[in-house]
Amino acid sequence: MELKNTKLFFPILIASGALLVFLMRAFMNDYILIIVNFVGINIILAVSLNLTNGFTGLFSLGHPGFMAVGGYVAAILIFPAARKEMLLPELPRWLAMQQWPLLPALILGGLCAALIALIIGFPVLRLKGHYLAVATLGFLIIVRVLITNMEKYTRGPLGLNGLPSLTNLWWVFLWVVITIYVSWKIKHASLGRSMLAIRENAMAAECLGIALAKTRITAFVIGAFFAGVAGGLWAHLVTAITPTSFSILMAFSLVVMVVIGGTGSITGAALAAILLTLVVEILRPLEEFLGAYGISEIIIAIGLLAILIFRPRGLFGSSEPSFLVKRKKTPQGSEAGI
Amino acid sequence: MSLYFAEQMVNGLILGSMYAIVAIGFTMIYGILRLINFAHGDIVMIGAFATLGLVIARLPFPIIILVVLLVGVFMGIVIERVAFRPIRGAPQVTGFIASLAISILLQNTGILIFTAQPRNFFFPDYLQRIVNIGQITVRVLDITIIVTSLVLMILMVILVRTTRIGMAMRATAENLNVARLMGIKIDRIIMLAFAIGSGLAAIAGMMWGGKYGQIDPLLGFVPGLKAFIAAVIGGVGSITGAMLGGYILGFAEILFVGLLPPSFSPYRDAFVFGLLIIILLILPTGLLGRKEEERA
Amino acid sequence: MLELKNLHVYIGKTHVLEDLSLEVKLGEIVALIGANGAGKTTTLMTISGLIRTRSGTISFQPDMESSRKEISRRKVEDIVSMGISHCPEGRQVFTTLSVKENLYIGAFQRRNKKDIKDDSESVFNLFPRLAERMNQRAGNLSGGEQMMLSIGRALMSRPRLLLLDEPSLGLAPMLVERLFERLDRINKEGTTILLVEQNASMALELANRAYVIETGRIVLSGTGHELSDNKEVQKAYLGLT
Repeated sequence: MELKNTKLFFPILIASGALLVFLMRAFMNDYILIIVNFVGINIILAVSLNLTNGFTGLFSLGHPGFMAVGGYVAAILIFPAARKEMLLPELPRWLAMQQWPLLPALILGGLCAALIALIIGFPVLRLKGHYLAVATLGFLIIVRVLITNMEKYTRGPLGLNGLPSLTNLWWVFLWVVITIYVSWKIKHASLGRSMLAIRENAMAAECLGIALAKTRITAFVIGAFFAGVAGGLWAHLVTAITPTSFSILMAFSLVVMVVIGGTGSITGAALAAILLTLVVEILRPLEEFLGAYGISEIIIAIGLLAILIFRPRGLFGSSEPSFLVKRKKTPQGSEAGI
Repeated sequence: MSLYFAEQMVNGLILGSMYAIVAIGFTMIYGILRLINFAHGDIVMIGAFATLGLVIARLPFPIIILVVLLVGVFMGIVIERVAFRPIRGAPQVTGFIASLAISILLQNTGILIFTAQPRNFFFPDYLQRIVNIGQITVRVLDITIIVTSLVLMILMVILVRTTRIGMAMRATAENLNVARLMGIKIDRIIMLAFAIGSGLAAIAGMMWGGKYGQIDPLLGFVPGLKAFIAAVIGGVGSITGAMLGGYILGFAEILFVGLLPPSFSPYRDAFVFGLLIIILLILPTGLLGRKEEERA
Repeated sequence: MLELKNLHVYIGKTHVLEDLSLEVKLGEIVALIGANGAGKTTTLMTISGLIRTRSGTISFQPDMESSRKEISRRKVEDIVSMGISHCPEGRQVFTTLSVKENLYIGAFQRRNKKDIKDDSESVFNLFPRLAERMNQRAGNLSGGEQMMLSIGRALMSRPRLLLLDEPSLGLAPMLVERLFERLDRINKEGTTILLVEQNASMALELANRAYVIETGRIVLSGTGHELSDNKEVQKAYLGLT
């Protein structure tokens, strides 16, 4: 599989995306813009989760945990020093004085998430299949418990509110582009190939001499970095952050996106993120109108079950659409085939 | 101090009993299908709501127990039939995601019907009465929970160890295809595992409601996860292991809260899940589990 | 008794059995020999219903009095109850069950307790070693003992036709010889046997007739003696030149 005219294709895609962002900001109302922002953040989350889940078969439910880490770090760094004194009086002096702009705070938040991924990755990634899933779910719960109890830094269950509303569509767009670009490069570089090899058959890949642990950890850490960044963007979009924001339901929705998109497919994950966010946003007013809370989750859960039963390879399989890549004709079939 | 300790032990026993009862179903389903069934905990919730409804309807208590048991059995069978049977043979992760979807489905159906507000749960007065054993004061309910769990567990061991169907269950758990070659109808065995496991979980829901006095549609998630941890401690697939794991977890949790300084208490769940991760890493087969052969 | 006609079987996308036909007559021992991966195990699994056919027919007639039935779409448990018992490759006894339980589970579909007890006695007669270890976990048995248990377990359903997959695998030569004597005895007592073997010389000696399977097709067939005299078979499977 080789990229088709990537040199030209990506700039065109980015330019048209930027044009779209410009037009939307000019003509759309705030409500729709916020939804579009959510779409973008979910794309970052789904595509970065796909890096770990889809490419390597590592089934992590810990993504919202990394989001929480990135979100809180960014929020504490960005929060105006004057207001910090009121809201978080017990914060250590050196931290209370910080007042960072968005971009470096996002990056540092992402790095913190990545660092934690690195630390927990070494032991936890040795686990297989659903044991790993449960362990990462445990990680998510532990992160939440810690945040709830580190009141000095986080105000505990109250969370931090009144965060400056810094996230806008340009920032989200920038990070969507970076996430997709990095994932794309990884998927089509040798690292990506070895990741896919691990997904298909861990034992065989090991025999081929791929440093299994290293590849797994790399995928996990990169995925965590983007989740951390998305957490920061998210916090400064909704302008509040609480431990309960990063729920198991969120872990579930992210997994749904990857499954619907077809594990391993970047385009699929991105499209599924768009689709799912829009479905939720459309169902929400309906839910409120009917007073039937829970109905959107029910519909999504049933939809997911239907996909698992009737289209187990996801809506898009693990390949990318044919206009983006050209396939060498191989009799064994490429990753999409088997 | 020793009185305090004794009371903590009773609490541990109660908590452990409930974990153990839920863990049995978890481990049975895992043993046969290698499926981690996240929706198992939500049967606990269904059991709790069913109990509340029946108590409000003023049915006699033995009938309530029977009906709750049947509600659990029915739910287990329906879930297996509708969701898990069609994806049998798919990769393990598919089953796991499906169970997550069912869990979300059940929780939100609960929210839709009962709203997310916690409801007060009550039992007839004679179960709330307080009795003294030596110097320890307990409720009749607490004793009922401990005794009922014990009886159910003994019945389970008898079923699995001595009956023909129990033998078939053990054989199916060890090797599904060879069990089929023996003429065992594995569809029935799987259905039975779901039925028994879910029936027990529903009974556990009844106990959970009685113990904590409040129920809401999301209450099943935590016992579900803890039951999973209990099953892992005991060795997933082993029924006696699940019981043992349930009690160990119950006591460990109570000791963590009861014996350490109060400032540690909020970290209870972090402790439990930390414990899980450590056990998965150093003792993946649990206390009584068998080593699983690695497949390519 | 058993007739496979033009079977086509796929596993995933691989065409494993191509137009395979073979026949087992009442009272015979038929051997199916071939190299690793030729499709021997798949053939047995298809007969017992663990693998489904794409096309072709499998018909089975338990004895002269019963009618011939098409079984390729039947469930595994129905095929067992019609009188076909499959003793799988690599023994696969239930290691956590006791020896006795393994035998009893072999008789899972039967209800008459006395008959079951009698039959387990005759298995113990056939393999006295098992009687000594009746209450031990099957996992603690040696490889040879597990093989005996596996065959004994397969006999407990009182099969008319016994499908045996590589019974000699991993056994010491002396044990193999003793095992084949027992198989002969089982056959003399009225059980028809379809035997899959890599140990071609022993299998051909024991069998009335045999088939040679190569990459999913039957390439040769004949009586056991015909095949052991065949030059090609000698070269490919008997290690003679």
